[in-house]
Amino acid sequence: MDENAAHRVKRTVLKVGHLIGLFFAMAIICLPGLWIVLSSLRPTVEIMAKPPVWIPRNVSLDAYVAMFSGVGQGGIPVLDYFRNSLIISVTSTVIALCIGMAGGYAFARYRFRGKTSIFLGFMLTRTVPGIALSLPLFFVYARLGIIDTHFGLILAYVALNVPFTVWLIDGFFRQVPRDLAEAAQIDGCTRWQAFWRVEFPLARPGIASAGIFAFLISWNEFALASQLTRSTNSKTLPVGLLDYTAEFTIDWRGMCALAVVMIIPALTLTFIVQKHLVSGLTSGAVKG
Amino acid sequence: MRGWKPAPHVLLLLPAFVILAAVVIVPLLLSLYSSFTPFRLTRPDSIYTFIGFRNYERLLSDWDFWVAFGRTVLLLTFALNLEMVFGLVLALLVEKATRGQRILRTIMMFPMMFSPILVGFQFKFMFNDNIGVVNNALQSLGLTDQAIPWLIDGRLAFISILTAEIWSSTAVFAIFILAGLMAMPREPLEAAKVDGCTPWQSFRYVTWPFVMPFAYIAMTIRSLDIARAYDIVKIMTDGGPAGRTEILWTLIARTAYSDARMGLANAMSYIAILLSILFTVIFFRQLAKARQQIGAEW
Amino acid sequence: MNKLLAGVSAGVLVLVAGEAAVAQDMPGKFDGVTIDAKLIGGQQYENLYSRIAEWEEATGAKVNVISKKNHFDLDKEIKSDIAVGALNWCVGSNHSSFAPQYPGIYTDLSQLLPQEEIDAFVDANIDASTLDGKLVMLPRAQFDVSAMYYQKSLFEDEDNKAKFKEKYGYDLAPPETWEQVTDQAEFFANPPDFYGTQYAGKEEAINGRFYEMLLAEGGEYLDGDGRPAINSKAGVRALNWFVELYENKAVPAGTTNYLWDDLGQGFASGTVALNLDWPGWAGFFNDPDASKVAGNVGVVAPPKGSSGARTGWSGHHGFSVTESCPDKEAAASLVWFLTNEDSQKLEAGAGPLPTRDAVWEWVIAEAQGDDYRTEVLQAFQEAAKGAYPVPQTPEWIAISNAVYPELQAAILGDKTPQQALDDANQSATEILEDAGEL
Repeated sequence: MDENAAHRVKRTVLKVGHLIGLFFAMAIICLPGLWIVLSSLRPTVEIMAKPPVWIPRNVSLDAYVAMFSGVGQGGIPVLDYFRNSLIISVTSTVIALCIGMAGGYAFARYRFRGKTSIFLGFMLTRTVPGIALSLPLFFVYARLGIIDTHFGLILAYVALNVPFTVWLIDGFFRQVPRDLAEAAQIDGCTRWQAFWRVEFPLARPGIASAGIFAFLISWNEFALASQLTRSTNSKTLPVGLLDYTAEFTIDWRGMCALAVVMIIPALTLTFIVQKHLVSGLTSGAVKG
Repeated sequence: MRGWKPAPHVLLLLPAFVILAAVVIVPLLLSLYSSFTPFRLTRPDSIYTFIGFRNYERLLSDWDFWVAFGRTVLLLTFALNLEMVFGLVLALLVEKATRGQRILRTIMMFPMMFSPILVGFQFKFMFNDNIGVVNNALQSLGLTDQAIPWLIDGRLAFISILTAEIWSSTAVFAIFILAGLMAMPREPLEAAKVDGCTPWQSFRYVTWPFVMPFAYIAMTIRSLDIARAYDIVKIMTDGGPAGRTEILWTLIARTAYSDARMGLANAMSYIAILLSILFTVIFFRQLAKARQQIGAEW
Repeated sequence: MNKLLAGVSAGVLVLVAGEAAVAQDMPGKFDGVTIDAKLIGGQQYENLYSRIAEWEEATGAKVNVISKKNHFDLDKEIKSDIAVGALNWCVGSNHSSFAPQYPGIYTDLSQLLPQEEIDAFVDANIDASTLDGKLVMLPRAQFDVSAMYYQKSLFEDEDNKAKFKEKYGYDLAPPETWEQVTDQAEFFANPPDFYGTQYAGKEEAINGRFYEMLLAEGGEYLDGDGRPAINSKAGVRALNWFVELYENKAVPAGTTNYLWDDLGQGFASGTVALNLDWPGWAGFFNDPDASKVAGNVGVVAPPKGSSGARTGWSGHHGFSVTESCPDKEAAASLVWFLTNEDSQKLEAGAGPLPTRDAVWEWVIAEAQGDDYRTEVLQAFQEAAKGAYPVPQTPEWIAISNAVYPELQAAILGDKTPQQALDDANQSATEILEDAGEL
């Protein structure tokens, strides 16, 4: 009995410890972000106060109202930016995932000469600093006439994300035992069917995390977007953030409000997609 | 395999090849060429003047450049290692939670949703010595009666930037490690339990080797994904004051656009690329090693 | 060309008769012409662009805005355009501090517009817009020069007055000279809760502040031959102003990392006594929703240095027409329209400073009855009299980037002011030599 009780106590302590740890970790993660959300709702006089005002006294949606009230009344073309961001991020993520799946599958399942160097070569394309890339890319784009178009930015983001998606998805395909697909093929599936019915579901956590990752990278990318976009035709939200800065002044509250508008879709999408991470849990069952 | 299809891997890899060649390789060759010229943006003709290795020679003897180089390596090393540790802890904490997984996982990725520019501004304001939240909190808790110059003192500024960087990017590690944890088969763990392993032992010998490849992938990705760090540092200190937080990317960006000396900046970039290649190859080796280990266990 | 001239001179005649007809006759007729324009974006600047539709209606031409970006990104973009030869647009936003960097791409507007129109602008602004005898831009009502904001209550407090007089031997009043600023800043400072003053500490900002202080001390940034001359005695005096305040903790310890946003927020938080800042903040500081010092803000013209001159680093936004534009007359008409009296009134009514004499009078008349606004305008008008742009070399920004780390090093005590200025002068000279300007 005693031993049981001791065991129980130990478990409770561990559990409480885990909860406390979790709580603190989440708090640290959330606080700077929540501060931004709060900043969008409070008058600047409270945000930059000294001594600090911890608990908001005047909460208002003024900054949001102003944002949507049109150019000239403190507004910015937020709907245009939003549309551009959404189109560009979603399209480039989907394409990068498809290319990544093809590439990752090839690396994980086929043997061929120079595999390691090709793989490494893919990764190394990412070592090029954006600065070294942005002007020559601009040069090429200017010649092709795709500056300030959705297409141009999508192309750039696909290239930005392909090395990651290839790599990540390759990693997950490798974890899927080869004999599973082979077994399916023996059972009469084509290679394609075997892939689609057996390997794809098992690699889903990898594809989901690669997808979230690629989406968030594209959604927040600034350096290339600021070089390759110019007008409301293609300007994305991160570039739009700078609409709140003038030469000598900055509207921090407005920036925070736009940040919140940016976060909502990202948060929603992450919330939806991350459930596919869970499907990894079933892999044990499938195997057994 | 039934029937021979002509090199399926070639077909599968083709799209990736094409797009990387178009968007990365071609511009890269252009910028490689321009690093051998005194190219100035405002004088387009200067791109046709070939000056050989002069830009590189100049950089080799430029002390400030190498200090920035060293600081970049230091920042990368600290940031990546700390992010990996925090990311692992975070992933384990979230994975262990019995309820609210979806919410927790979403919150975990919260920092990734903020544009780096915004993170830069936010942390700059937080670390402001006069009206920043950090000093205000420390002062009202009575921990200090000084205005700590977070972004001025070289070491403190390094820590401040590191904090912002870790805050914004730990999630990358956490998500990959978490995905790895979830893809992990249950049996080995259960077997370890049956064999009487302590939780630490089963973590050390079962979980960690499985998760390691994912951690390395995340690490490589992070070491390559420099743009995030650049935006943050640019806004927080822009390499200052007096060059105390200068890193390669702030230096390159300033030289390239503000000074408009693109040729010199591209030469810097190529030296920076060498650094990235070094990091990538190191992680890649470790990844291969880690993979072999799991392979052996399977 | 002739069409425009005719239109404009007709307009001038009508101007005498009555204002209503002006907008219709002035801009000319350009049916079927499309003007590609790159405009500076952002809340503060975009209100004006609602007038573009009026111009389109009046002239029959169309404006196609192909880019709208903030100041610094627009600069990057224009440099990129020059680099790849993509100058197939007509009208671009410009700034007096950046204009010297784009030699040759903008056309001389004085050839396209009648002299009377150009004369209607403030002379100093036209001078600052003229490079090598070419009028490269027409100033809009976005003129920036700094004035001294201060917390009134501190200067009205009897206790402060008595103590100050005892310590420094003269009466406490809003500062007339930079020496007084030093005294007062040190007098009011009570770190870490309260600071005497603050200054922008990095990038072009600190270099600009140093530049105006140098001139106020009687020095030169570039001498008559275009050689950097900042390591003079006046240079050391100017730099010492920054160094001393920092050493005596009269400015926040973080000031060397401050840019305009930090300065504005700092003064608005009520923890700084004196703040040399731009006109754009005037409304913000006096807005109770934004600022703790609202209702307690005083403004005076920028103080004088030991040479007797006020500091007066200034800049203004404007619009330029490219050399490669096929419809220069139409483009010039647009630029004129966006900077004409009605346009300037539209912009200046919201706070920014105008660049036309008539509009200055108008805003001052408008401000009657509003004591704060009147005080602001008087201070800035006085500041505008002594205002000057940055040295007109294409390398100005590059020089800034080389000089500011040295200034910071001196402020933080890593180097002596003389040492720092010698080093800065050396790098600035090298930059000009590299560029083939010396």
